[in-house]
Amino acid sequence: MKLLIIEDEHTLNQSMAAFLTASGYICESAMDFHSALQKIEVYEYDCIILDLMLPGGSGLELLKHLKENNKTDGVIIISAKDSLHDKIEGLQMGADDYLTKPFHLSELSVRVASIIRRKQFNGKSVITLGDIEIDTVAQTVQIKGTMLELTQKEYQLLLFFVINKNRVISKSAIAEHLWGDDMDMASNFDFIYAHIKNLRKKITVAGGEDPIKSLYGVGYKLQSS
Amino acid sequence: MKLFAKYNRFNIIATIFTFMVGSIAFYFVMHYILIRQLDESLHGEQQEIHEYVEIHQQLPEIQNTRHQWVTIEKTNEQIHKRRIISYDFYNEHEREFQSVRQLQFNLNVNNTLYLVKVNKSELETEDILKLMVLVTIGMIALILFLNLLINRKIISRLWQPFYHTVNAVKDYQLNDRKPFLLPAEPIDEFNLLNETLNHLMQNISRDYQVLKAFNENASHEMQTPLAVIRSKTELLLQQTEWNEEAVKQVLGIEDGIRKLTRLHQSLLLLTKIEHTKFEFNEPVTISTLIQQKLEEKQELFESRHITLETHILPLTIPFHPHLAEILINNLLSNAIKYTPVHGYMHITADAESIVFRNTAANGPLDAGKIFQRFYKAEQNQEGIGLGLSIVHEICRIGGFRIEYSYEKDQHIFTIYFKNNP
Repeated sequence: MKLLIIEDEHTLNQSMAAFLTASGYICESAMDFHSALQKIEVYEYDCIILDLMLPGGSGLELLKHLKENNKTDGVIIISAKDSLHDKIEGLQMGADDYLTKPFHLSELSVRVASIIRRKQFNGKSVITLGDIEIDTVAQTVQIKGTMLELTQKEYQLLLFFVINKNRVISKSAIAEHLWGDDMDMASNFDFIYAHIKNLRKKITVAGGEDPIKSLYGVGYKLQSS
Repeated sequence: MKLFAKYNRFNIIATIFTFMVGSIAFYFVMHYILIRQLDESLHGEQQEIHEYVEIHQQLPEIQNTRHQWVTIEKTNEQIHKRRIISYDFYNEHEREFQSVRQLQFNLNVNNTLYLVKVNKSELETEDILKLMVLVTIGMIALILFLNLLINRKIISRLWQPFYHTVNAVKDYQLNDRKPFLLPAEPIDEFNLLNETLNHLMQNISRDYQVLKAFNENASHEMQTPLAVIRSKTELLLQQTEWNEEAVKQVLGIEDGIRKLTRLHQSLLLLTKIEHTKFEFNEPVTISTLIQQKLEEKQELFESRHITLETHILPLTIPFHPHLAEILINNLLSNAIKYTPVHGYMHITADAESIVFRNTAANGPLDAGKIFQRFYKAEQNQEGIGLGLSIVHEICRIGGFRIEYSYEKDQHIFTIYFKNNP
């Protein structure tokens, strides 16, 4: 899986590349409009992470260029501009998703994975991790052939963990993923605990091995062998 | 009271006063002159009688008229030269009191002493004076009438530029990108006013634009460093996994970033609501929106054991969909936040208003401060104190009225869609 990260802030570009590389992607970076344009013209990427404000031009111009040349690269816009207008314009121009800075890298990773799944037409919509099989189209989870009865939140939580397997995830990243950022955080943390407890129970009852590891009560990690 | 009405009042009082004083003075002067004239004509009579007596050495035949009559009688009383008196008598013929001027003098005819009394009615004099009073009253009335006319027509036309200026200032919004420019006026005072306002508005507008650009840039510039810090803490978290103390430190940073991000986003939103001209013209179904938000927050109600009651009538009003969502979300979050565990919440919505009632934990909030930025009822709260400011600001630009009240241990927030009570 090849990704292109177009972001002019060097350290942020590096962080994204480091995190996504660790998740198993091949990452290339571009720091300005022209080098990004060159890369887009020459190579094909599974997903492009695109900042809108770039030295030398606008990210929306790059998006326009991609669409005019019938490129099928998935595009996720990351922007400091929180304006609804830019978001709508970006999505109308064919971007697949939109993330506002500052975002969690784990969230970015889930969004990228989702775009790539949607872009793949070979029907590979099932993610497997140990005993766990997640069908992302039907939104169902099976363990050793047993169907798990999960709530919407539990499903989202499990998918989030699976995509970010072997990574330490903070409670606030989980809360933002499940509820967005407009809810009272203190009470959300209790819900995370409750959801994770239920999820673990359902997995073990179905005969699976509980893969979620709690880290000192402040974070979580999904361990895969 | 209008300036001109005030001015006019003084003007009218002064005019009436001047005319009164003038008329009274005029009356006395005229009276004096007319009496003198009367006296002179009485002297003339005396002269004529004397001349007649000198020539004919006998009493003249007197022709009495209605306004002048002469009586001659014998007397022993010697009058030095002559004397003039005024007296009133009742005229039977005309049935009214009349003032009469009388000249008395002695006449010596063939060594017989006579007292001659020449009477002249002051009626004519009085007629003239009456006429004068009438003319004076008429003039005052005419002046008042003309004043009224001038006030109505000319003055209101003269003040047109002033009202035009006032309306232009009233209608002007800093958000409009149109420059504020009042026209030059032929009248100096209005022209000065317009020029000064133009100058002032240009300065304000320029400062405002500079400040706005600064705010926007500062906000956006802040987001990238925040994103850098957040991404670095996340990477750091992966490396410190085995060190409990380090993980806790990193997550402490992460928590700080989260709060800062929320604060920053709320401030950005507030700035945006204040500075952007939103159109409230899309139909938004408030009732559905409330139901949807209630579903989203179901977990919160359950975890806090809050009893919820709703009376929501189908309600669609012209609104801005994004702002409507923020409005309902903030009100609901706020209500949940301030409802104690096992509390009660009641939401009603109809064509007039939306009402959020919830059990209060710690008595009434300070109604004068709750919509202020960064106001928190308790300092150690998780919230940042901007939620209600945002609600207030949305209501303000939408032309709605929001009110807080406290009744039977309940906080009550009401939004009236029509601004007028």
